Amino acid sequence: MAAPDTRGRVRVPSAPGLASRRREQPAPSAASGRVSYQGATPWLIPLLVVVTLFYLWPAIQALRFSFTDASLLRDQFDYGLTSYQRVLPSPSFLFVVRITLVFVLASIFFQLSLGLGVALAVQHGVRNRLPGTAIARTLVLSSWVMPGVIIGIIWQIVLSGASYGLANSMLATIGISPVGFLSTTNMALGSVIVANIWRGTAFSMILQYAGLQSIDPVLYEAAAVDGASKWQSFWRVTLPSLRPILMVNLVLISIQTFNTFDMVLALTGGGPGRATEVLALRTFNMIFRNFSLGQGSVLAVVMLALSLSFALLYVRLLRTEERL
Amino acid sequence: MRVRHPLWALMLAIAMLMAACATGEDLPETAPGEEAPPEETAAGETPADDTAAPDDAPADDLVTLNRIGAADAPNSFTMQITQGHSHEAPTEDFAGAFRTLFQQWAEDNPDWRVDLEIIPAEAVTAHMAVLLEQSRAGRAPDCAEVDSFVIAQFIDVGVLQPLNDHFSQEEIDALMPFVRDVVVDDEGSLRAYWWNTDLRVLYYRTDLMPEAPQTWDELIEVASSVAQENPGTEGFLFNGGRWEAATFDNLAHFWAQGGDLIDADGRPIFGEGDNREYMLSTLEFLRELVDSGAAPERVSTILEYNEFNTAAQAGTVASFLGGHWQHGQLQDILSEEDFALWDFDRIPGPTEDQRSTGTGGWTIGVFSEDPAIQEACADLIRSVYMGPANEAVGQLPTSTILFEELPAFQEEPFLRFGDFLEEGRSRPGVPVYPSISEQIQVAVGQVLTGELTPEEAVDQSYQASLDAYEDLQ
Amino acid sequence: MTVKRRRWRGHAATYAVFAFVAVFFGVPLLWLLSLSIRTPAEVFTASLNFLPREPTLHNYSAVLGSGRFQGYLFNSLRLTLIGATGAMLAAAPAAFAASRLDFRGRRFFLIGVLSLQMISPLVIMIPLYRYFVTVGLLDSYISTSFVYIAILVPLATWMLKGFFDGIPKELDEAALVDGCNRFQAFYRVILPVSVPGVAAAFVLVAILAWGEFIVPFILLSRPAMQPVSVGILSFQGTFAQTATQILAAGAVLAMIPAVAVFIALQRFIIAALTSGAVKG
Repeated sequence: MAAPDTRGRVRVPSAPGLASRRREQPAPSAASGRVSYQGATPWLIPLLVVVTLFYLWPAIQALRFSFTDASLLRDQFDYGLTSYQRVLPSPSFLFVVRITLVFVLASIFFQLSLGLGVALAVQHGVRNRLPGTAIARTLVLSSWVMPGVIIGIIWQIVLSGASYGLANSMLATIGISPVGFLSTTNMALGSVIVANIWRGTAFSMILQYAGLQSIDPVLYEAAAVDGASKWQSFWRVTLPSLRPILMVNLVLISIQTFNTFDMVLALTGGGPGRATEVLALRTFNMIFRNFSLGQGSVLAVVMLALSLSFALLYVRLLRTEERL
Repeated sequence: MRVRHPLWALMLAIAMLMAACATGEDLPETAPGEEAPPEETAAGETPADDTAAPDDAPADDLVTLNRIGAADAPNSFTMQITQGHSHEAPTEDFAGAFRTLFQQWAEDNPDWRVDLEIIPAEAVTAHMAVLLEQSRAGRAPDCAEVDSFVIAQFIDVGVLQPLNDHFSQEEIDALMPFVRDVVVDDEGSLRAYWWNTDLRVLYYRTDLMPEAPQTWDELIEVASSVAQENPGTEGFLFNGGRWEAATFDNLAHFWAQGGDLIDADGRPIFGEGDNREYMLSTLEFLRELVDSGAAPERVSTILEYNEFNTAAQAGTVASFLGGHWQHGQLQDILSEEDFALWDFDRIPGPTEDQRSTGTGGWTIGVFSEDPAIQEACADLIRSVYMGPANEAVGQLPTSTILFEELPAFQEEPFLRFGDFLEEGRSRPGVPVYPSISEQIQVAVGQVLTGELTPEEAVDQSYQASLDAYEDLQ
Repeated sequence: MTVKRRRWRGHAATYAVFAFVAVFFGVPLLWLLSLSIRTPAEVFTASLNFLPREPTLHNYSAVLGSGRFQGYLFNSLRLTLIGATGAMLAAAPAAFAASRLDFRGRRFFLIGVLSLQMISPLVIMIPLYRYFVTVGLLDSYISTSFVYIAILVPLATWMLKGFFDGIPKELDEAALVDGCNRFQAFYRVILPVSVPGVAAAFVLVAILAWGEFIVPFILLSRPAMQPVSVGILSFQGTFAQTATQILAAGAVLAMIPAVAVFIALQRFIIAALTSGAVKG
């Protein structure tokens, strides 16, 4: 780990109440007495046992398989770099990484901003008891709890390029001719991103809403006294206060988006061509269609590397801002 | 009830954890990671009980969700079957037909109970990969239905039992050549019974296309002019999305020219010599269909045959390349007068004499080494699938004898389907086929969207297929 | 006057967002609902009429008729409950330690747990499958649930740690002074105070578990053992048989339990989250 101060980064106080408590107690996470490493072990054992047996160990096996030419079709395999040599230089690999990055970046940007937007609206709605608030919140949540394959199927029919597709029927009523939402390379990727935003916004909304609720109203009052407009207080108070939760939110939705494949599989199958074949789907295809465990594992290692670098990037970004 | 057992045990463990919290040291010992293994074994030993939850039908019901035969029958075997070929089929006609056949079998075989595992037809390749992995681990069901295009892998890894004792040589010889080549191995052993097949044809609306186009050029010409003259109507639809049918359906164009995907050793050759030319002209033809306006751009997104039915229902399509089974579906969903407008013919070829069509279907193989189970399962295949099921649901039989004998196939449209079957080709049953298929799906998509030229697409997909072939050696 | 205008503008902006939500999130859902009450003849035609000419509940009875769907639902419930409960049991003490004890490697532990999530569950499935075959754990809800636990536990740990951080230290210090050991302080004092936070975390991870696809797909080889997130596919029909309207009915039914739980508890969940569970 390049960054030494993890705790400081993730435990940024989000409200003055917490900040002042932190000032009184310089080391809030340290309990009254310092406890040795051994003292913590029993607390961690359940988690470590489960995670090691059911995740870490198979993950290490997968890492091992990436250095083999293992296939589902035979038992024996040889160690070596053949799988890496197959996957990394192939022309499709760079393409897949590129569209995966577009998919992930666009998804997290819109999920986060839309999630915040809806959270702000819901907060305003709840405070002023506006009718319709509960319905809006429920709609967003419903799209989140649906199985991924169903989401793919729904959007497939909504975006169908046929004249009777739902979106195209709607466009037709205002005189626009059918659009090929899924049939050109760029449009198809855009459509998959839209479907993923539809699916994932709720999660960001919940986190951001919780973050908004915990902002101390005193901060807004102070800003108002300073003559700040609503817009200014949003930039000066709301966003900075949300920063710690944004960090957690970003990491989690990046991971979720990187790992998404069931929805894409149902929506486009990865096509047309490779237009929407994101890394997770490529991995699925490599293992379950081409039966290549070795190359599938290489793709998973690439995915891990990308997720990790995203996480480190967020950590760094947040820390720089914190110093300002 | 047995099924609740693990849950209650867990609840109990939680309760105990809460109650026994006298000292901190107790925690790790009673944590779930430590506690569970004995329960797992208990649950693992009784999978039948585990899955019996919804199966509380009266004992005299011989066909229930998860079994055929009496619950207390002395003998039993497990069978995995695709949902569409069972009494759980999505349409009531199919479901009812299979229920009757299963019921009859159960009455004739009171000593047997079949524990069914019904798999959805979705994600077939992935399901087959899982079944292959199971069979290699010795955990396959006693018998299972296997998609014909992966059956070769199962035969290859040696997990299927020969069925020669249960089918006569005459019956084996009556299998159509494209079927026999795959399911009879080098020693002459029948490794699976391939019970049904399908084929692809050109459907067309006679009011828009009075005569069926016979060649590629005719199709392009007539479909593009129909689309031009009737705004909102699509001239020709075909599978061009990222799925198996984009390869399989369009291979008809490649095969019609005499193309071969692989050589006798199973090595891909579709990117070399004449085969490369055939593949190129196939892709160029597909591209031309879109460029000329004969086919809409959206063919690159079509991921199911149902899209064609839908378009026919909406009245927005003049012709499509579909499966023979869609004849019955069109009959069901269209009004009588609309249905009368539709006819079908052979898939147009590069010339009038060069024709082909893809033939697929399902096989049933026996994994169990127990002779009694082998016999019982073979009997089930014979009594239910070999003939009766073909008739009941309109799936073409693979035996020439059956095709000539069964009354259902002695009338239209099956007489013509039977003729077309002579031009049928099945996908090569080799381990590398799924990889080749994936590459061709990608190539078709990239050519249809204009992402790559046909040359680039052929070369890239060929190179990737060769790599996949080498990896499998 | 200005206050009034300002509030009016706030209301307008809020309703603009709600309108967007209604169209973007509502229309596909409404369409799903509409599809689920259509006859096969009306599935694709006239899609702009949300209410079909001949509405039918037949699709729902088709889904529920054979008992297969109820089986999937029960399986989902079982996997979700065991998975989410187990995740809480494993996460709570670890989160408490991360919040209260200053052990060496604490930061590494926290980041490490989160990084684990970055390994795609896809790729651990084959090694896990082979390993389960060897030790005879295949086709068991309990062992499959443990994979769920392993997948859910990082999120659970982070949420609970944030929640415990928000609980004043004075509470456990008082308990320690009273002669409790640290574990007693945890389960007698901290846990009871944290019930809302634990419950909120539980619901969130349970919803993630509800949608899990690849884990049961591989580890539960018997189709009848599958949860609804996988089993739902069996209502899609085959290429030879159209069943989109039945699938839609299945999707609606599969969604209802999760949405119902969330709606019933949402006030409670938000309140709990607000008091600290997701501060990280």
